[in-house]
Amino acid sequence: MDIRNLIGKKMLYFDGGLGSLLQAQGLQPGEEPERWNISHPDIIENVHFSYYQVGCHIVTTDSLGCNELNFPDNGTYSVENIAKAAVENANRARSRADELDGGSEPRFIAFSIGSLGRLLKPLGTMPFDEAYKVFARTVKAATSAGADILHFETINDLYEVKAAVLAAKENSDLPVFVTMTYDASGRLMTGGDVPGEVALLEGLGVDAYGLNCGLGPAQMKPIALQMLDYSSKPMIVNPNAGLPTTVNGKTVYSVGPDEFAEVMEEIVKAGVWIAGGCCGTTPAHMSAMIDRCRNIEHKPLTKNNRSLVCGTSKTVEIGPEPVIIGERINPTGKKKFKEALRNHDIEYIVREGIKQQDSGAHVLDVNVGLPEIDETQMMADVVYELQSVIGLPLQIDTTNPITMEKALRLYNGKALVNSVNGKQEVMAQIFPLVKKYGGVVLALCLDEEGIPDSAEGRLAIADKIYKTAESYGIDKKDILIDALAMTISSEPTAGTAAIATLDGIRDRYNGHTVLGVSNISFGLPQREIINSAFYTMALSHGLSAAIINPNSEPMMRAYYAYRALAGLDPNCQEFIEKAPTLVSAAAAPIPATVAAVPQASGSADSLGACIERGLKDGAATFATEMLKDHSALDIINGELIPGLNKVGKDFEQGKAFLPQLLMSAEAAKAAFEVLKNHMAGSGEIREKKGTIVLATVKGDIHDIGKNIVKVLLENYDYDVIDLGKDVPPELITETVVSTHAKYCGLSALMTTTVPAMEETIKQLREAAPWCKVMVGGAVMTQAYADMIGADAYCKDAMAGVNYAESN
Amino acid sequence: MLNADPREAARYLGYHRTQPDAAVQALIEACITEVEAAAVPKSTHERFPLLFSGDETFLVASLHLKSRSLMRNLAGCDEVYLFAATLGIAVDTLIKRAALMDTAKGAVMQAAAAAVIEAYCDEENEKLREEAQSEGLYLRPRFSPGYGDLSLDCQRDFLNLLKAQKNIGLTVTDSGLMVPIKSVTAIIGISSTDNNCHLQGCEACSKSECTFRR
Repeated sequence: MDIRNLIGKKMLYFDGGLGSLLQAQGLQPGEEPERWNISHPDIIENVHFSYYQVGCHIVTTDSLGCNELNFPDNGTYSVENIAKAAVENANRARSRADELDGGSEPRFIAFSIGSLGRLLKPLGTMPFDEAYKVFARTVKAATSAGADILHFETINDLYEVKAAVLAAKENSDLPVFVTMTYDASGRLMTGGDVPGEVALLEGLGVDAYGLNCGLGPAQMKPIALQMLDYSSKPMIVNPNAGLPTTVNGKTVYSVGPDEFAEVMEEIVKAGVWIAGGCCGTTPAHMSAMIDRCRNIEHKPLTKNNRSLVCGTSKTVEIGPEPVIIGERINPTGKKKFKEALRNHDIEYIVREGIKQQDSGAHVLDVNVGLPEIDETQMMADVVYELQSVIGLPLQIDTTNPITMEKALRLYNGKALVNSVNGKQEVMAQIFPLVKKYGGVVLALCLDEEGIPDSAEGRLAIADKIYKTAESYGIDKKDILIDALAMTISSEPTAGTAAIATLDGIRDRYNGHTVLGVSNISFGLPQREIINSAFYTMALSHGLSAAIINPNSEPMMRAYYAYRALAGLDPNCQEFIEKAPTLVSAAAAPIPATVAAVPQASGSADSLGACIERGLKDGAATFATEMLKDHSALDIINGELIPGLNKVGKDFEQGKAFLPQLLMSAEAAKAAFEVLKNHMAGSGEIREKKGTIVLATVKGDIHDIGKNIVKVLLENYDYDVIDLGKDVPPELITETVVSTHAKYCGLSALMTTTVPAMEETIKQLREAAPWCKVMVGGAVMTQAYADMIGADAYCKDAMAGVNYAESN
Repeated sequence: MLNADPREAARYLGYHRTQPDAAVQALIEACITEVEAAAVPKSTHERFPLLFSGDETFLVASLHLKSRSLMRNLAGCDEVYLFAATLGIAVDTLIKRAALMDTAKGAVMQAAAAAVIEAYCDEENEKLREEAQSEGLYLRPRFSPGYGDLSLDCQRDFLNLLKAQKNIGLTVTDSGLMVPIKSVTAIIGISSTDNNCHLQGCEACSKSECTFRR
């Protein structure tokens, strides 16, 4: 029998703990329990049997760590052999149980698959694709061993779960269950939350999901209740027998069967359809729980109509409150942004993202399309880097379906998809991707016939889109209808048509809407006046999400004022808090850097003095001022470099310290920005001193030191190519060769990564004998540097600059 | 609140006997506040009998350790705590984000986070000391892989033994580095005799040439 026909219709019980029972039979701390499938099959079979015997429907195999990272050998204890033995042990137990009662209850074997124990990139070092491969091998082994269910459990990271579920879906037809482990505050270890798990796993189409391990039933209950609020699928709850305590050096779980059963009864009554236990629970716990739950009248499973998107640590619900989608990551009409794309300057793009988040964006649109670059690779790189520092959901904005698929696959969470429209061809390209990877999709009210002028015409297209989406299995809640803000300067009814479309979607379909607000004012002066007024109009007609510039004061004024007026801001508290930030001097540019960095106090009376004292704003102001009667080059050579040199010297002599050195570097950078912009216009050219490739070596993920060296070298006008952290020797060598870089700077923090540095130097010596190699990092010493054949050991960032300047 | 010491953060930034100026001091304090707000500190420990097998080698459950400096540290101990603590992954993100926007703030944030994890370890260590004291036992200063001649190679087995990935979200990369970055593992000797040794952290380490030594 396929369990998919039973879940949500019949109450099903998982088994309880395994590890603690095996420890009682002699499993040693640190010993891998999966080995016992082969070395002690009878013990494993008996544990499974004892769970079937008390009425559990689903037994989980002893295979939590059965993956090729833990079992790399292909001998007796290979992944495949363990999987086979694990399923056989459960099968024998099932036959025995069936014999006893003639198989009156359905019995299933869930193949348990746990976390790989590695954190995925970008937070850790394991690539997503590699995690996928490891899971895929276990999935195949479990499937051919004859398991009934693939059960991923005790995973506490959403990204790892995504790799696991994709591996399951693409390599097996078995039902997929997932249970994740939370802390008592309802967070996953990597910051994910309950609605995030719901969004991701329902988006990926798993059959049942929920919670296990980490907490006892009492601590798990509020988390389970929260999950029920969001979920539309059958939920699983498998808690521990309380929180572990250590008694006489032994781990003990203190919640007994009766207490366990009492709380589980409450959880099941609330609407959970699959219940069991984890660490410390025993057949006695399961028996007590099954007894207590026997007569519960179950709540029928209902479809939840909540529209969710999530990023790495933030889930956004579309509908209850207006959502701001930041529009700034987009090259259209932005010279600097285009330049950043061409130079693969992803940090620039990430900074644009951080600024928007700080300004109040809830979601960030990501558009990196430029004819001369590889959009697919760029999109993957930008999404990846944005997600390494920004927890918000992203909106993938591309017309290229290949780019869309790659981004949705690598994306950590459930994304917004920008976009489909009423054209059959586009829907046929995009809807299957949304179905497979999950997502909320923006749907533009246009089709093969163009854009209807009237709201009725647009609503007809929306209707077609809803119906087509449904035929792909995509719910209405996962569609955001774009009512289309056209330009009022060329089409007088553009504003009213959009508003009437918003009304129609809200009133006829109870659906969600989106607008790219600023199109409305194209061709007009003082566009923000029109934009912000239109934004307020649209909000009061139920606009769910707006694509706007969150750095724009008038737009944010409209947003906070609307919330206060619409009763969404209790006591107008948020408005009162934000008000002072919404009335700065007219049209003041957004500061180039985020505030909150206390600046050195006092003032300084020259550019050089500002740099010495690390005054960022002052340095930029003085640079602008000086350009009136000095050339940029004169300013650089007369003020900037001497200022930097002075601080550098003080640093070397122990009179200034690292933070001061860096504040000066940042101040110089701010002045350089001003001067560079001027030079781009005037045609002045500053000779670059040479190219330098910087990297933190393979295996090492500490990059603060390398970043410090980078800032200093850039100020001294080197062309710095920053390859980032955990960089393989081959890539470093390849880059040095292709750019014919004069210098290469390598950083390693730990003894364990020095061999990678040595290997890099070896490869550089062969392929790029001209290149001078500087090394640094906490673990480095002159002796180490000599031993691995570096040209120079740099004890700090200034030493790196000095070496480059003099060699 | 973990009572992280701003002077400790200043030391990581290279201030030895000099007091940071007002701007840097304010930045350090602001960063400590931000780290404490972002951190989700978690720790785990287990108590094991200690088996000496001679030749400066120890056995703690399935974990083999070889170190002369640790040998000295654990003289007179029959048991040890294996201890692991982390500030959580949000602190990694916080540091990276700060560094992207402003290098100075990035460096200070890094140092602030180091001071916060030390303060947290001290606090948890104190609980263990009290636990031991209630049994009439004494603790040796905590000793981390990487101190003296104790190699980092043991991190994976060490963390596996504590189920640190599952319990506190602490993982180790293939090159032996811990993620989240602001994490600590340590061995804490348990002895029935007090050796009155108050060396903790830096002073317990034999790497006298270390830049960050107190």
